[in-house]
Amino acid sequence: MTERVLLTLVAVAVVWDVQARPIHYGAVADAALAECDRLSWRGQNREARPCYRDILASSAPGAIRAEAAWALKDLHTANRLFQAANQNNPGDADILSRWGDLYADTHQDAEAMDIYREALAADANHAFAMLGAARVLVGGFDDAANRYLEPLLTNATLPEGAQVGAWLLVARIALENHDVDEARHNIAKAEALIARNDWPPLEAYALRAALDLIDDAGDGRWTEMSLDYNPTYGNIYAIPAHFYVISRRYRDAIDLYQKAVDIEPGLAAAHEELGVNLLRDNQIDRARRHLEIAHDEDPFSPVAVNTLRLLDSLSDFPLIRDPEVPEPGGAGLPIVLRLHREEAATIAPYAIDLTRRSIEEFSTRYRYELEEPVIIEMYPDHEDFAVRTAGMPGIGILGATFGYVVAMDSPSARSTDEFQWGTTLWHEMAHVFTLEASDHRVPRWFSEGVSVFEEWQSGPTPGVRIPMPVYSAIRDGKLLPVATLDQGFIRPSYPEQVIVSYMQAGLICQYIGQHYGTDKLAALLSKFADGLNTVDAIASVLEVTTPQLDRDFDEFLAAEHGPVLAILDEWHRAHAELSKLAAEENWTAVVEAAERLIEMHPRYVEPDSAYLPLAQAHEALGARQGAIDTLELFWRRGGYDPRSLKQLAAWLDEAGRADDAIRVLHTVTFVQPLDEELHVTLGRLLLERGEGAGALREFEIALAQNPHDKASAHYRVAEAHRAIGNIDESRSHLLMALDVAPGYRPAQRLLLELMRGASNDTINH
Amino acid sequence: MRTALCVLILALASYAAAASTVVIVEGLGGNDHYTAQFAEQVEAIAAAARTLAPQPELALFRGDDATRQAIVDFFAALGDRRATTDQLIVYLIGHGSYDDHEYKFNLAGPDLTDADILAALDRVPAASQIIVNTSSASGAAADRWQSDSRVVITATRSGVERHATRFGAHFAAALSDPAADTDKNEIVTALEAFDFADRRVRDFFETSGQLATEHAKIIGDRAARVSLARLGAARPASDDARLTELIAKRDAISARIEALRSERDTMSADEYQSRLLGVMLELAQAEEAIELREAELLPDD
Repeated sequence: MTERVLLTLVAVAVVWDVQARPIHYGAVADAALAECDRLSWRGQNREARPCYRDILASSAPGAIRAEAAWALKDLHTANRLFQAANQNNPGDADILSRWGDLYADTHQDAEAMDIYREALAADANHAFAMLGAARVLVGGFDDAANRYLEPLLTNATLPEGAQVGAWLLVARIALENHDVDEARHNIAKAEALIARNDWPPLEAYALRAALDLIDDAGDGRWTEMSLDYNPTYGNIYAIPAHFYVISRRYRDAIDLYQKAVDIEPGLAAAHEELGVNLLRDNQIDRARRHLEIAHDEDPFSPVAVNTLRLLDSLSDFPLIRDPEVPEPGGAGLPIVLRLHREEAATIAPYAIDLTRRSIEEFSTRYRYELEEPVIIEMYPDHEDFAVRTAGMPGIGILGATFGYVVAMDSPSARSTDEFQWGTTLWHEMAHVFTLEASDHRVPRWFSEGVSVFEEWQSGPTPGVRIPMPVYSAIRDGKLLPVATLDQGFIRPSYPEQVIVSYMQAGLICQYIGQHYGTDKLAALLSKFADGLNTVDAIASVLEVTTPQLDRDFDEFLAAEHGPVLAILDEWHRAHAELSKLAAEENWTAVVEAAERLIEMHPRYVEPDSAYLPLAQAHEALGARQGAIDTLELFWRRGGYDPRSLKQLAAWLDEAGRADDAIRVLHTVTFVQPLDEELHVTLGRLLLERGEGAGALREFEIALAQNPHDKASAHYRVAEAHRAIGNIDESRSHLLMALDVAPGYRPAQRLLLELMRGASNDTINH
Repeated sequence: MRTALCVLILALASYAAAASTVVIVEGLGGNDHYTAQFAEQVEAIAAAARTLAPQPELALFRGDDATRQAIVDFFAALGDRRATTDQLIVYLIGHGSYDDHEYKFNLAGPDLTDADILAALDRVPAASQIIVNTSSASGAAADRWQSDSRVVITATRSGVERHATRFGAHFAAALSDPAADTDKNEIVTALEAFDFADRRVRDFFETSGQLATEHAKIIGDRAARVSLARLGAARPASDDARLTELIAKRDAISARIEALRSERDTMSADEYQSRLLGVMLELAQAEEAIELREAELLPDD
């Protein structure tokens, strides 16, 4: 390496190293440090670095040297110095507050919070400690943040730097809530204080730029002003990029994050977000590069570590393309699946079918043709899916759509009580359409609403399924106006509000579909693509104001669900009584109680619905037909409990209704596909009905599950191949069966039959 | 004393003729659900034992007769009359417990401890022993019970797995389910039954999304040689010369198949398939000829 090249690299390293420490708005008062900070915030990093080094090597107070070490990214030294400073100055809230900031900056929120509490114990009015605590709590969506923010926003006698931090924080929250006026007001408050103190206006500029992006007004002059102030301030792009991410405009976010790391190559958070969002766009290799840089720059970030670990495990998830080779001149895009190798053979056939069906259905309904292949990823470990989605474990959702990339739990990730993978895939595919058709401008409520509506209307297990807590929320008047429904998803104000908002959005779309026609849903999507917000799009397409729509929707709810809302408490009591009677096996009483419950709320078909004990009671009392009728009704209304449906299929088959049994078992495949017995039964029924190709698919899926009885599994596949005339394939599977079990008579007989048939064919020819 | 004789079902006319002994102990259910479940499993296992040829001596300990003393006495007596060529199959169907020191199989009155069970097994000088303990915490004693001549199957891998188990129900079901008979010879061996039940248990926990509370365990390498049930009817013995010749031919082909399988790694997949097809067709034809001859030998109605 030549000396010139080496010098260049060192220079770059200098630029990287002194940008990460957040602007502190006067939280630290030290003249020498202020001079270094001024250089750093102006982007004069070559000068800032030796400046900080001098402080670190000086006899300045430990807490000031800690600041210098922090600015130089020597975080361990910074921590050690803060610790020593705290020991030497017990109860010094200034030191504690900054020490807490260091912990918060290194993603250790719980420890940071402990230190802020310690600072506030020493000085209950310490403004910067309150600000630090508020930041941590806001990051955790904790309403307790308000307790700390409120004095900072209302008490002008508190240090103005802490007030600036508070105004910038609430400006961010307002922006996340799309409350543009509030955000503008909050930024202005911060700007006035910043100007008065001659602090760097960079964060305010970045929020202004974000505001303009949200308004679709471009990034205006703010980026230029920021770059004039500090040409290496990457957050001028990274902060607005965050608002693209939360409005699901991932490709736009990628462009901005790339710009951020272009001017500030050491901005770990931007590399990390760039990596995460590149993954959402299926740019795996490029994502890995940026995540590795993020990890090198900020080894404390769990997001980068988790995501890199996930990427390492992707070798267990081979890609499946369907069709493998595009047909010459063939219409349509391929579907790409990324499935775990142990589940791929089982899930792929169903996932491909379902995805194709959804594309056909939604292309027509929403008048939009997809432009790229859809990529569907399914993770057997829910935490892998969580990391794939958000970089961190612990999220509760089942699936996520990033545009043409869908990630979700695989059928084995959750119990069937809480997850129907087919319905989830259908829901996510609707998102693919609403996102892409609107160029990712669709409001959250509408995208979720269409997805829920499509689950109910056209999904693999259709039926309006509303959890009971949602009915309670409806009865208690907890629904939001449609104009602000997005807040229910982004910043829920009570524990069930997210699921309530999902259901409300679905019901609004159902109402629009029923009252105005489903073509209006497509029309609304088109308006969102044009950049209209909820209020304007509804006014334009439905020709009503949103308050009027809210009133009309209330009437719809009263008409559709009023009877259920009126008896909720009684229903809960009756449900508890039914559970008790069923546990006691008092079947006669169960029949009466279950029938009453079903009459009260016939649409309730969750696994604890009254249909199941009613069927059980009928069977116990010798009334098989009653049991069949009950389970059939349960199924037709959207019930999906796999055990009950398998029982229903067996009874239907016994009753000579094989076609209905097949339909019921098809439903089960969308809930519990990793069930060998299901595929064997379904395959047998299909074979008996002369549907060799369908039988072959089921038997091949059963074989792919590495069954205990491999000889029988191969034999069944051989039978299906023979049924559709694939003699060579049939013989091959018979040999595999006999290789396991040479004395297997049915396989021997079929082999002889095939060979004799082939021999006769030869003679006849 | 209410002797074990009252619950002893003599499957053969005399002890002297018995080649093997099957002992089934049904523990306390604790509630109606488990009582019914254990009874069902015991009946399925007993039915399976009766399908074996030659039929074993079958001893059932159930209800009030399933006491520690009756069981200890039975094994003592059995040990006195068994030769080392005999086979002993023991099933413990019920609940177990483990207090970090001692495993106990739950019975009315004093429980059977792991030491009681080991002493009982050691009293019987059978050359081949198998004990199947489907109870909770059964894995606690597995290592202690192992010996060169003994196969130990437990529903759990340790005494820490204390929840009521699912393994027993699947093990009992395996004894009459053709899917358990993986080599399709119409005999369910201990290894086949274990594999079947173990797989069913794992599948249950995987598909239900529940944390697995049991992991079955097998110790000993003779499980594939111990027959626990016959699925089809035994072929009648015959001194027909033609049939004897056909069976000898079939056995010779089977030996060639075994030889071919052992050479599998020395040839290409295509060559193996081609040669396998040839011998499998021969075997199929030989079996067909045997079936035809057997049909010819059936007495006319």
